[in-house]
Amino acid sequence: MTASLAAAPTFDLERVLASIDRMAAQRPVAAQIVSVANSDEASAKELSRILSADLALAGRVMKLSNSAFYGMRGRVSSLQFAVTVVGFTTVRTMATVALTDLDDESRLPGSFWDVSTSLALAASTLAPRFGQRSQDALCLGLLAQLGVALLFHNDPEGYAQLEAEAPTAAGRRLAEVHRYGISALRLTAVALEQWGFPAAMVAPLTAFDDLQSTEGALLRASFEIVHRMTVDGHEDVPMAELTLGRMTDREVLPILEQVRVDAVELRRALLED
Amino acid sequence: MQGDEPVPPEVVNAVFHGVSVSDAAAILVVERVGGTARVTWSNGRAVDFLGYGLEDLRSAPFEQLLPSLGRSELKLLLRRERAVRMTLPVRLASGATLECIVSAVPAPVGRRWTVRLISTANEQERALRATADAHERRFSTLTERSPVPTLLSEQGMRLAHVNDAFCALVGRQAEQLLGTGWMTTVHPDDLDTVIEQAAVVLDGGEGEAQARLVREDGAVRTTVIRFSHLFTPGVGAGFVGTIEDITERLAFEARLAHQANHDPLTGLPNRTLLAEYVAARFLPGHSDLACIFLDLDNFKVVNDSLGHAAGDELLVELAARLRETVRPGDLVARFGGDEFVVVCEHVDEADAVALAERVGEALRQPVRLGGVDFRPAASVGVTVQTPEHAAAEELVRDCDIAMYQAKAGGKNRITVLDQDARAQARDKLRLVADLRDAIERRDVTLMYQPIFDTVEGTAVSVESLARWVHPERGPISPATFVPLAEESGLVGGLGLLVLDETCRQLAAWDAQLGPAAPERANVNVSALQLDPNLPGQVASALHRHDLLPARLSIELTESALMTDPAAAREVLLQLRDLGVQVSIDDFGTGYSSLAYLRHLPVDCLKVDRSFVAELADGHSEITSAVIALARNLGLCTVAEGVETLEQAQQLAELGATFLQGFGLAAPLDGASTGDWFAAQHDSLDPAGPALPSRPATAATPARPATPATPTPEPT
Repeated sequence: MTASLAAAPTFDLERVLASIDRMAAQRPVAAQIVSVANSDEASAKELSRILSADLALAGRVMKLSNSAFYGMRGRVSSLQFAVTVVGFTTVRTMATVALTDLDDESRLPGSFWDVSTSLALAASTLAPRFGQRSQDALCLGLLAQLGVALLFHNDPEGYAQLEAEAPTAAGRRLAEVHRYGISALRLTAVALEQWGFPAAMVAPLTAFDDLQSTEGALLRASFEIVHRMTVDGHEDVPMAELTLGRMTDREVLPILEQVRVDAVELRRALLED
Repeated sequence: MQGDEPVPPEVVNAVFHGVSVSDAAAILVVERVGGTARVTWSNGRAVDFLGYGLEDLRSAPFEQLLPSLGRSELKLLLRRERAVRMTLPVRLASGATLECIVSAVPAPVGRRWTVRLISTANEQERALRATADAHERRFSTLTERSPVPTLLSEQGMRLAHVNDAFCALVGRQAEQLLGTGWMTTVHPDDLDTVIEQAAVVLDGGEGEAQARLVREDGAVRTTVIRFSHLFTPGVGAGFVGTIEDITERLAFEARLAHQANHDPLTGLPNRTLLAEYVAARFLPGHSDLACIFLDLDNFKVVNDSLGHAAGDELLVELAARLRETVRPGDLVARFGGDEFVVVCEHVDEADAVALAERVGEALRQPVRLGGVDFRPAASVGVTVQTPEHAAAEELVRDCDIAMYQAKAGGKNRITVLDQDARAQARDKLRLVADLRDAIERRDVTLMYQPIFDTVEGTAVSVESLARWVHPERGPISPATFVPLAEESGLVGGLGLLVLDETCRQLAAWDAQLGPAAPERANVNVSALQLDPNLPGQVASALHRHDLLPARLSIELTESALMTDPAAAREVLLQLRDLGVQVSIDDFGTGYSSLAYLRHLPVDCLKVDRSFVAELADGHSEITSAVIALARNLGLCTVAEGVETLEQAQQLAELGATFLQGFGLAAPLDGASTGDWFAAQHDSLDPAGPALPSRPATAATPARPATPATPTPEPT
């Protein structure tokens, strides 16, 4: 089967990257949010003003802000306050989700959002141990698989086959590089950097495979937790090894439970209309 | 971009020159030839920055400078259709890598890119980051070690940080509290308030909430959470929450409040709480509130015979019985020493009386005190709210009155306040209020009754008599209003009024009559005025009207002097030192010890009118004994109530010094008294008047018409 994983002759990385630019033209409001959300001048007032032109996106932000995840218990009644509650980076993340059609599950691998929400919650839960902001970690988790989506959008059959034939995470990354010349994770980093997401969100993606880097440790640990939850026959990699000793396997169990419970709620808030 | 207009060659040259000599940024030109990107040009700054020689730079593939990019990933940076900016490690000639922002701008045609390298770690940025890190470290150290429990929200109610003090307060680990975990520690009934306040703060306002926090072990702490808005540019809003544990403070305040509202002996609500309780439930016009007032009968006997400890024991026992007997929801309060009040809601008179009977029955069970079986009993007053009750306190007052009726009716019984008693009590209250006004407005006026010298046969002094004409009720007898003043604390004001007005009148007579003015005025003083303040008050009244002390005689009743003879003696001594005369009024009607009398600094005895009246029946024994007694003690005497000339004659013969009575001269107002004395003076024989044989002669020609108003009795 290895032969089938050869580089797809039709796949053109440049075309994929170019498609990112085209997406912006199709969802101008989302694109505008993505471009201004994290500037120092950004304000809840300005973001909500822009957001109000995209009813679907605005509705999702409202819904998320009132979800159990933020603990506001339905007290968020204005869009501006919703933006305040979820934070600018989250608004931007949601705009990115809309911009890249990540909310259209028919165009994604079946496990995409289960993995993404679990990853987001795992990263957000673990973030304080790694000295990271939970909110950034949540957003990073939600968007980490953006590269997967982009690859899938451009090569649905090929990627599905790749996924089936390389069930382990490391194996899949190798297969992605082999077939597309770039791993999905790396592609995510490129896209986020291109859209000007803060370095704190890009660096963990770039440093993911460098086991000596502390920057990649949180994301590695989060992926490991999600794999333990979702992949049958997953061979556990010791947490201490992935995190340069910052976490041990003993700490994983309570986090697994918490992530499982919250992921359903987060997914509902993010995707359902 | 300058648009499509071609740039003049001299401008291109200028820009190129600027770039080539710039020391601000390292600039390379990269060209893709045959699938390999190579550096084809670099400015001086790039050579310095990277450390390679120009030739080395040109000969090696460009990707060697960017070790983190896989071979096929270079195209991510070198894009034909757009400029790309990436943060990448750049390999220097030394072998080290340096993180740089690498910007690649494609040339309009061909396969060339201008690449700019800027170290992310330039000096300014490093300095900024160091400062920011230091701030962050300081902040986290400050909160981490602060004894003040502190929360730091990152987004919405989600916490990014809690300090050790907060973990200790709720008895949980930080991991359990981060995110929304801390919200489970907030008492469910308080969570809404906390979120509401946090929402206000997230929105830029200010807020604080009182909230109970439930510890892991189930213990509840009451806290105040103060929120501050926290805005991070480019990120959004959060809050800092500081928590003050007010559990102990509230408990202390509650204890204080309880102490202020409860009787420490029995633990029952006290009078203050009773008043608040009734006021809170009192609705004018309704009639389902009732009060039962209980006063223990013979409690003083227990205290006096068995001691106060036994008395306290009895009160505690009875308080417990009361609590057990009333219905749930009824209030039992300790009103005073041995007085209790029960307040019940939603009852009619029959219910209230039934409850009062049950309570009375419960109280009557024997109590063993100091080895003695004591059967308590209480006089019980019951009042049910009626439409006449305008205010809550009237209800309690009425059942107090009912209790007094029960007591007056023979104790150990229940009395329901009837309309008559209520009307009487109200009437009395109104009269007290009117009397207070009358004293303030000096509507209480004085009459003066002349007092005659038996030797000269002329009037030499007067007795001041207070008179009050009520605007609606007409004249009120001093026998009514003086005791009323004494009961209601008005006697001090009344006494001062009489004293001052008498002095003023004496001074006015002096001015009007000169030597014909009365020599002295007798002023009655109540037993309640007989305190160490009296001499000072007398002195100041004299001083105010510029009178000699000998012009006043203070009359005190025998019983007033005998209440506390030692204290009375002190006051009398001071009065005498002042030069004021002191008389004992109604002498012989009390039970004075003659031994005391001998030691009291008294100048004059007034023989009571009842003894004088006996003269007419041929009984002169007591009068003559009193007069003789006075003479032997060196005191003068005033015989009161002289009705006839015969009595006057007889009293003069018995040796009385002065005479006073209707038969000689009726009391008159100030002006008439002045005229009376003037007339007496004019009619006097310059050789001097006759003696007791003609006291009426002096009085008769000068006696003016009897005053139109009934004569007040002496106060």
